[in-house]
Parts: sequence; C-alpha cells; structure tokens
Amino acid sequence: MSRLLSLADWLNTAPAGTIAYTANSSVSKSDLESRILHWINVLPAKRGQRWALYHQDSAEFLAMLLALWQLGCTACVPGDDRPATRERLRLQVQGFVADFLDDVVHSKQGSAADNDGARIAWQTLSKDFPALEIYTSGSTGEPKAIQKTVAQLDSELMALEALWPTDHEAVVISTATHQHFYGLIFRLLWPLARGQRFETEQWQYTEDLFSRGLRYPSFALVSTPSHLGRFNTAVAWAEVADRCCSVLSSAAPLKQKDSVQVAQLLQAPVREIYGSSETGAIAWRQQSNSGDEPWQALPGVQLSQTDNALLLVTADQLAGNAFEMSDQVEFIAEGLFHLRGRVDRIVKVEGKRVSLTEVERIVQQSNLVEQAKALTLNRKRVEVALVIELTEAGEQLLSLSGKRKLQQQLKQHLQNFFEPVLLPRRWRFVQQMPYNAQGKLPMDNLQAMFISQEVKWPDLTSQVMTGNCAELVCQIPANLIYFDGHFAGNPILPGIVQVHWAEHYGRQLLSLVGRFDRLEVVKFQQVIFPESTINLTLEYQPEKGKLNFRFYSDKGVHSSGRICFS
Amino acid sequence: MSNLQLEIKQMIIEILDLEDIEPDEIIDDEPLFVDGLGLDSIDALEIGLALQKRYGIKLKADSEDTREHFASVNALAVLIESQRTS
Repeated sequence: MSRLLSLADWLNTAPAGTIAYTANSSVSKSDLESRILHWINVLPAKRGQRWALYHQDSAEFLAMLLALWQLGCTACVPGDDRPATRERLRLQVQGFVADFLDDVVHSKQGSAADNDGARIAWQTLSKDFPALEIYTSGSTGEPKAIQKTVAQLDSELMALEALWPTDHEAVVISTATHQHFYGLIFRLLWPLARGQRFETEQWQYTEDLFSRGLRYPSFALVSTPSHLGRFNTAVAWAEVADRCCSVLSSAAPLKQKDSVQVAQLLQAPVREIYGSSETGAIAWRQQSNSGDEPWQALPGVQLSQTDNALLLVTADQLAGNAFEMSDQVEFIAEGLFHLRGRVDRIVKVEGKRVSLTEVERIVQQSNLVEQAKALTLNRKRVEVALVIELTEAGEQLLSLSGKRKLQQQLKQHLQNFFEPVLLPRRWRFVQQMPYNAQGKLPMDNLQAMFISQEVKWPDLTSQVMTGNCAELVCQIPANLIYFDGHFAGNPILPGIVQVHWAEHYGRQLLSLVGRFDRLEVVKFQQVIFPESTINLTLEYQPEKGKLNFRFYSDKGVHSSGRICFS
Repeated sequence: MSNLQLEIKQMIIEILDLEDIEPDEIIDDEPLFVDGLGLDSIDALEIGLALQKRYGIKLKADSEDTREHFASVNALAVLIESQRTS
C-alpha cells in the first residue's frame, strides 16, 4: 500500500496544510494554489507549447511548474541560466517563465485570496502528457534534450517509495538545486508526492544545514559528494544527529571515507543514488567500512550488460525502453554491480556532467585558439584542464599580456556556456600537442603535462651584483614546464621565456620599475637545451628605463636584447 | 599589504591548489568569486573549512552574511580580526 499521490492529480488529491518551509516561514497548499492561479493568469501560454523555467525558490518554481502543466505546456528545465543556455533555449521554447519575475511577482502580492474557500477544479493530467524536458551533455558535445511524461515521473517515484517507504514526517533540507533532475526528483517531486515537507531554499554551507536541522523534529538531507565531502566536522553535529533520518547523495560516487564520516556525524544512513538524467535513479548503495560496496538495482529496474560491458537498463520509468549507459560495469550477482568508468568523453566534475568535446568546441570558437584538448585531473578536486595550441593572435596576447590574462580571457568566453565549477582550472599553452611517435595523442602525454611540480625557473648556481649589473649562472632543469610540447622530442627553451626570466631577475635583483613596454634589438642566436649551464648578464639603465640582457655559455651567445619599460 | 592579507592570499592559493598566480597578483579588495579571481562555490566550501581549521572561525548559519565575509581578501581579513578580538 502506497501513500504516494500521482503527479497527474496532485492538486486535487493532496490534503490542505503546510507543504514547504521558507527561511523563516511556511508555504501552505493554498499559498501554492494562489501562486499557480497567478501564473496561469499572467502566462500567455497555449496548450502544447514549451516554456523554459528557471527560479531559485523551490516553492515558486513548483507553482510555475504546476501552472505550466495546468496550461498543458511542457516545462523545459535548464540546469542553469547562463547566457548561452538562454540563447540556446530561446530558439526552442515559447518563452521563459523566469523572465517575468521582477515586474510581476512583487506587484501582485495582494491577490492571494482569489481562491478562498472555494475548491478549485484542477485539470487531471493524462499519463502520457510530456511534463518535463531536461538537458544533459550528449556525446556529440551538444546538449541533449530528454523528455519525461507524467507516467515516467510517477514510476520513478514509485520505485523510490517502494525502497524507502518511511520518514514522511522528515523535512527535506538540501544543498542540491531543483534545476537539476536529481534535485528536482529528490527535494521536490518525491516529497510532494508523498506529502513530505521540503525547504524552499538551497543551502551551501554545512553550518547552514546544522542550523536548519535544529528547526525541525526530524529532517532528511538531500546532498551531493561535493558537499558531503567537505563537511565541517567541528560543528556540534551531535545536537542534531538524532533528528536526522537519512542522507541522500547523488550526482557522482561518494568517497567511502566521506560516506562513513557523514553517517557517523549524523547517525543516519547515507544512501547513494546512481542514475542519469536519461534514466532517473536506477540503483543505490549504502557504504560501510568494509570495502567497495556494490550498487543494487532499484525496485522495478532490470539491469544487464552489453557485450562491451556497458550497463543496460530497462524500467517502467523508461516507458519500457532499454537504455544503454556510458558506464562500464562489472556484475557480481543479479542486479548487483560495480562501476568501472565511462567509455565516452563525458565526465563528472564535482557531480556536474560535462562533455570534454563540448569544452573543446567552445574554447576553439575563440580566435586565440587553434586547437584545444580537454581532460580531467584528479587533484585536490576533480577539475577540467586544457592543453591549447594558440593562433598567432593568441601567441601575441600571451607574449604581451601573459598567461594569466590569456586564461582570463578564455575563461570569460567559457563562462557563457559552463557553470563555474566546470571551468578549466589548469592550462597549458603549447606550440604543438604532445603527439607520440605513432602520431597519436595519448591521454598519458596530456596528463603528464600537469603532473610534475611546476618548474618555472632555472636553478641559480651563482649570482653576483655590481651596481646596476647582475651576473647569474643558471642551470636549466629538464622538467621546466616550458619544454612541454616545445617541441615534442626536441625540447628547447622558448625565446619568450628567456625574456621573461631576464625581466623577472631584473625586477628581483636590480630594483627595476615600470611596466613592460617593448623589446629592442632582440636576437636569438643559439637554442638552449635542457640541462645546460647558461650565464645571464643583466644591465639596468634606470634613467632610460631599459634592461639589457644576454644569455651566453661556452658555446657563445644564445640570445641578447633590450627590454624597455614605461 | 599587511601580513594578514598576505597570509590569506597564500592560504587561498594553497588550499585551492591554484596555478599561475602569485599572492601579490590577488588584489585586496577585488571580488574573489565570479569576477576578479573567479572562484566557484566549491572553493567557497574549501575556504570555509580552512577558516575553521586555521583560525577557528565558525561561520554563522546565514549564507548572506557568509557571502559578505567571503567577498574579498579584505573582507576575510576583517572576519578573522573580529573573531580574534572578540
């Protein structure tokens, strides 16, 4: 027996009373209904249209969503409201519900009493009504649209309810956004269908979770590995632990130690959900101290694998169709499996899915970029990194303004398309991609460019200063970052690095001031190889704002020139 | 640049594993997030944890308040100073 209400008829069947909590107040079903009526009145929408929907507040989002459904419209829910996202949606939808916000919401506050007393006859949605369209990174690099009918949503919720039928009284507190499918299901639609109250705000810090938890006799936490992996252990969790019923985590696998730690701090089961936007939730696990816990199929979900070990899913929530995941798996028993990594170029960065092909495609739109290769690095966090061959314009900007400026400019471009956590955090600008002898570009070669400790300077074995002159002896380390891809198999020290070093030591040793203006009489006569010993002579002319430099060795002069400062 | 500001910048670079930036390139009153240094929400969590570990600072459970404290190096310095003296 299930207490779950169908989304098709929720408005008619849900009992009156509180459905949600804002920061300091609550939202009742009739508050929600009057907001729905408001949106029905102001939206110039017609049956069968598609409307984009974005709003930070979960209750208002819900009112907009249910209003669109009452109007017979599909709600297109983007993961963010970045300019490029809006631009892309603009071509596909009738309008944006979020756009009306500022001018409409505030001026309409007095109209809440329209439906006092009288029961409103809400439309019952048909099971095959296309209620939602959500977006995810497709393997082509273009975002892929996924439609969900009311029946699909209902059956996903039923699978969850069959597995975890208790704790209806716990208030849902969340760090996840409802704009993503996981958050939409777990912090909004499932609570709604089971009559569980939810908070309308998305919280960021664990300190927030603590103080929110203290407000309720019982609560459930819906979160992600990004947050659960950064739990502040200094908070007095014991004070709220007995109020916490369960913790849900999804978007990416949670590290075992994080899972165990949170379970201990909150004295509650930490349930991990595995799934995708395409399939919804399909499996779950609860980790413990004992080894690598396998994933287990949700009720009603049938799992098998393809010949190349990809997970194959069949379930009611997929309308009976089979869906092939891009994750390779290893089955240890019927419905029990371990994940073994993805086969495509789609990666998860802090729980957010992104196509590396898409990152490359977008950054290559810049006139500074000739070719780009994107990869992920597992450092303190999982991050996107880029190896880039620059165009002539790019090289110019790099030599005039430096790596940081160049990065900032490229990041600014990427910002229009990607959420902040997906932006590259590490960049390598190379003359040529590190192809191997077979002409291939192995991932290891790209990874290697980011592994080594950043070596940017020569080892100084001697430095002698006389007045405005300095004489340095430099040992050129072979693992200098500037040898990366410059050139593959035949590394030489780039000329621009020599100029940069001259300037750097000029500033450090000769109290040189002013901004880099231009170069004069620069000559690069002989290349500098790794592991060689090179002398550098610097001579500063403060009155002219000029610095003469000369790199030389027993082979003669390697380079010389003058840097002018303004 | 005061010592505390420098300390904060070094902390930011270290805990966030930032590359291609020196402490003196971070400007005291420039925004740390989005514009300016361009940090993201995960970085904010890391800074919150580091403040707790290094300076024993407890964030108040008010995201608005926290957002203000995290606005810039100067704002962080004010936060640390205020907890030292109180």
